[in-house]
Amino acid sequence: MNCEEFAIAGLDLGSAGGDDLLKKAAREHLRECHHCAALHENWLALREDLRVLGAETAEAQAPSRVELRLRQEFRSKHKTIKTQRTAVVFAWSLGAAAALFCAFTWANWRVHKDESLAKTTTKVVPTAASLENPSQGPQGGTPVGSELGEVLVASNASGDFTLLPGSMPPAPEDATVVRVQMQRAALGALGLTVNEEHAGDWIQVDLLVGDDGLPQAVRLPQSGREEESVR
Amino acid sequence: MKAGFKPGEMQIESNEREDALLKRSAKGDERAFTELYRRHQPPLFRFAVRMTGSSWAAEEIVQDVFMMLVREPKKYDARRGTLGAFLYGVARNRIMKHLERTPRDVSLDEKGEAGQEAHPQLHEQMTPARWAELRERRGQVRAAVLELPPEFRETVVLCELEEMSYDEAAHALDCPVGTIRSRLHRGRALLLAKLEMLREVPKRANVGRG
Repeated sequence: MNCEEFAIAGLDLGSAGGDDLLKKAAREHLRECHHCAALHENWLALREDLRVLGAETAEAQAPSRVELRLRQEFRSKHKTIKTQRTAVVFAWSLGAAAALFCAFTWANWRVHKDESLAKTTTKVVPTAASLENPSQGPQGGTPVGSELGEVLVASNASGDFTLLPGSMPPAPEDATVVRVQMQRAALGALGLTVNEEHAGDWIQVDLLVGDDGLPQAVRLPQSGREEESVR
Repeated sequence: MKAGFKPGEMQIESNEREDALLKRSAKGDERAFTELYRRHQPPLFRFAVRMTGSSWAAEEIVQDVFMMLVREPKKYDARRGTLGAFLYGVARNRIMKHLERTPRDVSLDEKGEAGQEAHPQLHEQMTPARWAELRERRGQVRAAVLELPPEFRETVVLCELEEMSYDEAAHALDCPVGTIRSRLHRGRALLLAKLEMLREVPKRANVGRG
């Protein structure tokens, strides 16, 4: 072993473990080289100083306030996480409940709408008799007057509708029967002949309304017709 | 210090595996976190004190290291090494940052937490002159260690002051054993030079200096 090798490996002579052959060579070199022997002695002295220095802080620990601060931080962090989780769960629950409520309300509204439509309107199939004779006026005189706007339930049991002038027979699936009360004079506005003596009378009329919302044909219900024939 | 935990909390086995403790800690178990802290805090604090020469700085560094563990426990990947080595690495980064900010923070009169000298027993066993001599010598050694470049200082601190084996130091610093050997060799040489011991060494006659 030369001095360079000793400087690298020889200073570990005093430490436990390591290569025995290397240590033996280092010891032999120490006996031969005064420079390395002095270096080694200085190193041993320094090592002792380092051990004393190490012993000074061997029992050193962080003060307890560090642990307290860390535990406080730990608690607040995990409390925040729990609060956040709770808030997220609550928000999702609230959202799901709102969505369910909306869906239920919408479904309910749809059902009610369908039911009311089924009650108030019925599809009518105009009979051939009524549609083949479009120029035929209303039975026994004709009423005129302003509509009251009241919609009554109509029946499509009878098919004797009279087509209004200029109207085409509507397709059966597009027509709707609406029963209204109006003054006889209002029929004049629909292009029918009106008996002026009874122009102010209120009568019930079934209107056959096309899919464009305009009346295509009229019919006087049975009672109204009897009354009309009397007049 | 008494922990003051609630009675229903789980008990910690002294030999409980660290990954299990870490999992429990990440789930909010304060006892598990405290156990981890108490296991790892002393060596980290010593390392930081010896590297910075300041117990205040060491306290701050240890707090930073464990604060990271509280806030981002997922930063530790068990597949890449032990928790101890990971914490050493984090502490080392913090120490290097501290040294960059305050490169000459050398305290020759290091006091304990309560303000007393670190080794009061020396007062009782020696004459005042001897005590003063030793105290001066100790101060010189401490200053010499603190003046070493950080990469040599950490190797000297771990291998000479902390008395770790080369393997342990290599593990803690995440570098090869050969690097530890060479850094230690350089560190020792620098220490001897700083303490002017080399002047007492007679000139070599047999080999040239390399």
